[in-house]
Amino acid sequence: MKLFSASAFALLALVLLPSAGPAGAAPAAPLPVSEAFELDVARDADGALVFSWDIAPGYYLYRDHISAQRDETPLPLSTPPGTPKDDPVFGPTQVYTGAATARLETPVFGTLELTFQGCQDDGICYAPETRHVDAQTLEVSAPAGPGGPGALGTGPEIAWTVGGETAVAPVEAVPGTAPGAGSGPADAGFELAASGGLVEGLLERGGVLLVLASFPLFGLLLAFTPCVFPMYPILAGALAREGDKLTARRGFVLSSIYVLSLSTAFGLLGAAAGWSGQNLQLVLQSPITSGILAALFAVLALSMFGLFELQLPGSWTNWVAARTGGLGGSGGSKRSTALLGFSSALIVGPCVTVPLAGALLYIAQTADVGLGAAALFGLGLGKGLPLIVMGTLGGQALPRAGAWMEGVKQIFGFGFLATAIWTVAPLLPSGVDLALWAALLIAVASFAVSVPLTNTTALASMRAVGGLALVYGVILLIGASAGGTDPLKPLAPLAQRGGSAGSGEGRELRFAATGSISDLQARLASANGERSTMVYFTADWCVTCRVIERSVFPDPQVRQSLGDFQLVKADLTDFNAENSALMKAMRVAGPPTMIFFDGAGREAADTRLVGSVTVDALTRSAHTTERL
Amino acid sequence: MLTRRTLLIAGAAGTASLLASGFPAAAQSIPTVEEVLFDEAIPTIGNPDGDVTIAEYFDYQCPFCKRGHPDLLDVVASDGNIRLVMKDWPIFGEPSVYAASLVLAAGDDYEAAHTALMKTEGRLSRDDVDATLAGAGHDPERLAARAAEQATRIQGILDRNTNQASAFGFRGTPVYLVNTQLNYGAMDKAALLAAVERARAA
Repeated sequence: MKLFSASAFALLALVLLPSAGPAGAAPAAPLPVSEAFELDVARDADGALVFSWDIAPGYYLYRDHISAQRDETPLPLSTPPGTPKDDPVFGPTQVYTGAATARLETPVFGTLELTFQGCQDDGICYAPETRHVDAQTLEVSAPAGPGGPGALGTGPEIAWTVGGETAVAPVEAVPGTAPGAGSGPADAGFELAASGGLVEGLLERGGVLLVLASFPLFGLLLAFTPCVFPMYPILAGALAREGDKLTARRGFVLSSIYVLSLSTAFGLLGAAAGWSGQNLQLVLQSPITSGILAALFAVLALSMFGLFELQLPGSWTNWVAARTGGLGGSGGSKRSTALLGFSSALIVGPCVTVPLAGALLYIAQTADVGLGAAALFGLGLGKGLPLIVMGTLGGQALPRAGAWMEGVKQIFGFGFLATAIWTVAPLLPSGVDLALWAALLIAVASFAVSVPLTNTTALASMRAVGGLALVYGVILLIGASAGGTDPLKPLAPLAQRGGSAGSGEGRELRFAATGSISDLQARLASANGERSTMVYFTADWCVTCRVIERSVFPDPQVRQSLGDFQLVKADLTDFNAENSALMKAMRVAGPPTMIFFDGAGREAADTRLVGSVTVDALTRSAHTTERL
Repeated sequence: MLTRRTLLIAGAAGTASLLASGFPAAAQSIPTVEEVLFDEAIPTIGNPDGDVTIAEYFDYQCPFCKRGHPDLLDVVASDGNIRLVMKDWPIFGEPSVYAASLVLAAGDDYEAAHTALMKTEGRLSRDDVDATLAGAGHDPERLAARAAEQATRIQGILDRNTNQASAFGFRGTPVYLVNTQLNYGAMDKAALLAAVERARAA
């Protein structure tokens, strides 16, 4: 399902965003020098050194700014005549376009310095570039900068931003290692891959309407991902509480209310987060919020078991009834459904997905709260559409009344309890959730076998369910006491003790922790142009991250493809100014996000992974980066 | 699979770019606003109390710096509330250092001498610099003598500018800073006006 929705997602994007040509006539952003003027060194038949440049279209190299020296002594270079660059005042300057060559006939030993300089037409004139060339091996290298990672300054926190034709991300100016003044390529620091925002892209293609039309579709495609799953039992439970009052129409109304309030909360939270610049979405996921939510679900569960009736105070209900023409308790259930929907956004919200990240970044960058919030509202609506369908059609499928109804309510009670455990699990010491799941399953088992049923088939299947739940519950208990932590592999510790650890092939992935721009700078710089780096943004409360860590990172294929990477983890569990600045500089909306840098600290185009990730996607990004 | 790229496809290709490129590295810590926009040793043009400061890292031999200069002066003059700081970053060798030194030594004639040299088109030799300044009514010899007297001040300015450019990781000239907003490469009038508007909105 997840796989399906991911590829459908890409397909949809293809439909929505057919390729458009580069916008505008303004010259593109200047290329890195090494790409604008690609240098190659060879020795010709006469033994002379030949330097040749492959010059990118729209760039030119000055003939009289090509020079070579060894030990401060200029070496004579011969260069062919270039194209005159007209200069009516002071006469022509000669430049090369397309390609340029320079010959050095004097024999040289050791390393020589080659300097060249050029411009991008109507754009920028580069500072002179120097390359070290080994006259024997013909190896070309950039002169080392004076500063190593040790020379890093942390710098005052100033938000120098990059202006331009479009709204681009705010960028913290970036400290790194230093090439000498006016020399040296950008071999340190980091450089993010070019990518316009999702919202900006849609805006450009089809304006506001396309944005508003696309986000519900994105949401629909995300409706079947684990982030949204908890919504189904919650809504089903809320509907089940209606008992025999539930009709298709009422199911539709209630589920629509639920989805509308979920989407509203989603839009409001996103707007507040983006607009305030605070990552509210992260703050909301504090242990306190999770704890309150878990408690709320536990209370809901208990009310399902009939321990008490969960109703708004009678005076409120009466007040509402008076205003709504005596619809009885329906106002109350509408309200509690709305409340449920609102708080459900806290669960759905933190699941970072590509469209969510796009909308949040858009709000943060443009302060266009209205459109951003509308996009998020649309995303929520899309996610909720299947819920409304379920609420409308499923309502009729629910039994009308009697003992059956009580049984169904209790089943939803268990669903709520499961949601409570799921919500609180990240806060508990690992392994405790196993015990909780075990307790829940054993309770389910005892419920299933004790349901009074007359239909023998139903009785048999309930008992089968009960038996299964009991067995798995016991297995979980054993796993928990043996130190197991994974509810899906509770007996892993025992299995490994038995020596059959077949999955221990690749090395376990080891991440170094980072939490600030300067620290990440140092780590990228220490890659020395050789090792690629993967930066993984995660947090304890990030459920998708847990899934990734449990089922994607341990995969042998992933371990192998990331084996040569420098792995860096930015943990956003404790959100502070430093890692917030890091997120901003990296244009990260939240965890999970993975960014791949080549050895030179440049983000590899087309590799960033946001949201849930498959083994294939991760492996592909890793390989793309390695090939650079 | 769900990379940002799959969503963006080629449509956004033209829009995104500036960030990707102008973004290398540097050793020094990031220059402060004070150091970059308010270096007291550098004379200013336009409204000294303007609410927006434009600082341009430039070279007297950089053709695009010079070609865009009339537009820049135009924007500064017609706006009336812009403070302009021309930050010499001599990347074209000795004649550029020479030109910068003479202009920075011009005192009250700073703006006139600067504008005269910005009206030239391409490459300059020392003689070209002298001839241009003389043509605009300045005495190159006197300016050279004053530059020698003020060598510490002038070298300080050039060093600071160069170090800042390197700390920012600028690749070359021109770079326009409109308040804290960096703009790489040539800017036409429309781009300048838009940048000023953005700066005021920020």
